[in-house]
Order: sequence, then C-alpha cells, then structure tokens
Amino acid sequence: AAKMHGRKRAYQPADLAKLMENLELSPAEVLKEWRGEEDDADEVDDEDEDDFFNKSKVDDAANAEDRYIPLFDYAALEEKWEDDENIEALKSRFAVGHMDGKGGDGDDDD
Amino acid sequence: MADETVQPLLQFEGHRHLTTRLLLSTLTGRPIRISKIRPSSTRPGLTPYETNFIRLLDSVTNGAQIQFSMTGTTLVYRPGLITGSAEGLGAMGGVIRHEIPRECSRRGASWWLIPLALLAPFAKDKLNVVLHGEGCITSSTPAGDISVDSVRTAILPLYKSFGIERNIELRVLKRSCVPAQGKSAGGEVQLVFGHQVRLPKTLHVMNKGRVKKIRGVAYAVGVSGSNNARMIETARGVLNKFVPDTYIFSDVSKAPLISGMGSKSDPNGKTKGAVGFGLSLVAESSTDCIYSADVASPPQGGVTPEDLGKQCAYQLLEKISAGGCVEVTSATTVLLLMAMGSEDVGRVCLGRDVLGTEEVVQLGRDVKVFTGAAWGFRSKGTADAEDEIVVSVVGRGVGNVGRKVA
Repeated sequence: AAKMHGRKRAYQPADLAKLMENLELSPAEVLKEWRGEEDDADEVDDEDEDDFFNKSKVDDAANAEDRYIPLFDYAALEEKWEDDENIEALKSRFAVGHMDGKGGDGDDDD
Repeated sequence: MADETVQPLLQFEGHRHLTTRLLLSTLTGRPIRISKIRPSSTRPGLTPYETNFIRLLDSVTNGAQIQFSMTGTTLVYRPGLITGSAEGLGAMGGVIRHEIPRECSRRGASWWLIPLALLAPFAKDKLNVVLHGEGCITSSTPAGDISVDSVRTAILPLYKSFGIERNIELRVLKRSCVPAQGKSAGGEVQLVFGHQVRLPKTLHVMNKGRVKKIRGVAYAVGVSGSNNARMIETARGVLNKFVPDTYIFSDVSKAPLISGMGSKSDPNGKTKGAVGFGLSLVAESSTDCIYSADVASPPQGGVTPEDLGKQCAYQLLEKISAGGCVEVTSATTVLLLMAMGSEDVGRVCLGRDVLGTEEVVQLGRDVKVFTGAAWGFRSKGTADAEDEIVVSVVGRGVGNVGRKVA
C-alpha cells in the first residue's frame, strides 16, 4: 500500500470513508484528496504560519455560503455541450427511440 | 423534556451547513451549540435570514430554546417537538404566516422551504405555512437558491419514494424575482404538507434509468411574456437533440404589489416588487429520478432571455451527465430522509461528483455525529460504472416522536 501512495487511484469509495473519518481535514480538503488532485503541502504550511491571512481566505465570497445550485462556468459548458462527442456520449442517458429527427413538435410555444 | 437538559450539547463550528445542522438537531431531538459563526467577517454572527429561519423553526416547533451570544457568533439550540401548524401555537386558522422581511432578501424562498419540507413529515400535525413579505423571493437567486417551481417539481416529488405522497402542495401565490439593492421582493408561497408518517420507508434506488421527459416553467414577473417565449425557444433548441418530449410552461404574472411602502405623498399607496424572469427545468428518468436546473435574471439586469435559456439547458445537461440517481440539489433531502428512516440499510446510487461535494461530505459527518452511524460507500457493480458510488445509510429508527401510533 505504501508503494501505491504516490499514485493512488482517485475516487475510490473506501478512501472517501476513511477521509471522512479524519476530522482534521475540512470537507474541501477531503475532496481534494479523494479526487487525487495534487495536494501541495506548502499550502498547508502557509495556513499554519499565516493564520490571519488564512481566515480571510476562508471567508471569501465563493466559499462563504451554502448553495443549492453550484456555480457553473457557462462559457465552458456551452463549449462542452456544442461538442458532438459529448452529445453522443450523453445520449445513452436519454430514452430516445427512433424519433430522433422529430424535433419540431413543440412549436406551440411561440 | 426532563432528560433533555442532561443531554450534552453537540458542538459545531462555522456558519456553513447551518440549516442542515438545525434540522438534524430538531429531528433527532439533540441540543446543539454552534460557535464561531463568521467570527472574522466585517458583519460577524448570524445573518438576518439565518435568524429568520430560526424564528420559523420556533414557530413550527413547541418548546424550543434558542440562545444567542451578544455578537451572534455563538448559538445554542435546544429543539422542541415538531408540532406543525397546530392551532394555538402561532397558527391562525391552521396556517402559519411567516414574514420574511426585506433584509432577508439575499436568499430565495426555497432556502426556507426545503428545510421546512424536511421537518414536515415528522410533525405532529399537518403543516401549512405561508411565506410572505418583502424578502420573499420565489425565483432562483444569485446566491444559489433554486426557484420555488423547482422545489415543487423536483424536491417534493422525492418524498413519494419514501412513502410520503398525500396532500402535499406548494402554491405560488405571488411571484417575485430578486430585488435590486434596497428594493423589496414581495412574493408569497404556501406550503401545505399534510402527510405525516411514523417512519419514512427505506429507500433503495440503484438504477438511474434514462431520461424520458423534460418539463419546465418559465416565469416572467412584471416584464413582457415574450421573454418566456425566447427562453423556452433557446432551451428547447439545446434540449431537442436529446429528448423530443420537452414541454415548458409559461407563466406571466404582474409584479407583486407591496402595500404601505408608498411614496411620501401617498403613504398608503402600493409599490411594485421586484421584476425579472427565469426558467426552471426538470428532467425525469424512466425510474423517476429527477434532475433540475434553474436560472433567473440577475437584479441588475443586462442578460438576454436567450442566454438564460441556454444556460439553463446546459446546466440541466451537466446535472444529468453527473450521473447517479440523485442530483446535488436534492441530495441533502434524500440523504436526510434516509437517515431518519427505519433501522434498516437504505441504498442510493450517487454520481461521484455529487457525492464529492462539500455539502454531502459534511452532511455525512454531521449525520454521524447526530446518529452515530456512518455511511458506507462502495462502487457500483462493474468497472464501467465506476463513476457511480452506492451510499448505504442506516436509518435511525426513531422517526416521528409525535406519532408513536401511526
């Protein structure tokens, strides 16, 4: 297990359970770890020595409140969903039968 | 209630997840102490909308004790019994009218409604609450609250799978959008929740199915209805590639009138509330999994309906592609109801990016603090479904103390 520590596979369910038990990590840190993003150690050091700065960082606007709708970068989303590959990939999630071409059935709205 | 004073206070820190913690405290009957609420902010302590929510909590429960520290950065809450809208306890004619004043207009009405709906099944009597006032916003807000339309079409139907389905209704009496600085909103919504249960059913949702239809509501408040048509057209333009069965309703209403806010020359006159437009989309799968998306025009304006329609459609696609049977907006509702269920293991399948949000992780921790049972995780079946994770939640098995006999 120690050997694997360097390149752990991200998103392992068992890891999340373990990380959630570790109450020293904030939820944001838990997620970072779980996603396998590079957790730069120097950032943690920063927080330790510069307590004052850290606090204002925690209170920054995006982090401050609970949201029901996450923030999206709509420009990126537009790009993503104009891409045919992504559209095709998502089509498996939809129950479209043979009626693919039938797009104009709802002109009653305008 | 005598033993309640003996119970130690559960300690929490920070202002995040305040409503879920208050909810868990009320549902489990355990007193809590939340400290360090915005200690270093320029406006320390609880915000007006948070104190207003606690007031609402107080009016649907009986015997709750709430103490604030001088600065409002510490809160001690000892929950009472959830009475619902029982006569004589703040309700008039079976209806609690709760005012949301103007200073609370940073959050949408859904911020009050979603937690309130979670308490309702465990109430002693049926719940009937009208939210009104100058801070009551029915549209979605820039602060990340969904519109009341999405609460009605995406959150309340979830209760059905817990065996809670009768006599639940959310009426939008007056629509309102987000007001600009210093203006009033003036919306009005009524939540009727008439199905109280002893215990919610244990939930097993593993199959997300395929999205078969998309419904939506476009609303224009105090502005031209053509905004609706334009939003609908662009949203359909994006979504028609995926689902032909898309139908978006259009609701055009006048700006709400707020009395007593008139000018100096006419003090009894009425002023108009906030205007704007927005769109709420809901996708439903063949196995009744629901995904929702919400956008609304910002108070400062300057966004075309075409942009909003597109954004909403993309948001919906993004939510659907995140996978899982429950999307992030409704995850709190579903997971909390599961935790309050009978002493049995319920399972729900979540997309890994839904599970991997701060809200859900913190909810898991909080649930463990309150009920002592941690969640279990495992990946779903085969390797190709690796981005989906099955969360098993052990119910608490106590349920509704007001209804020992169901």
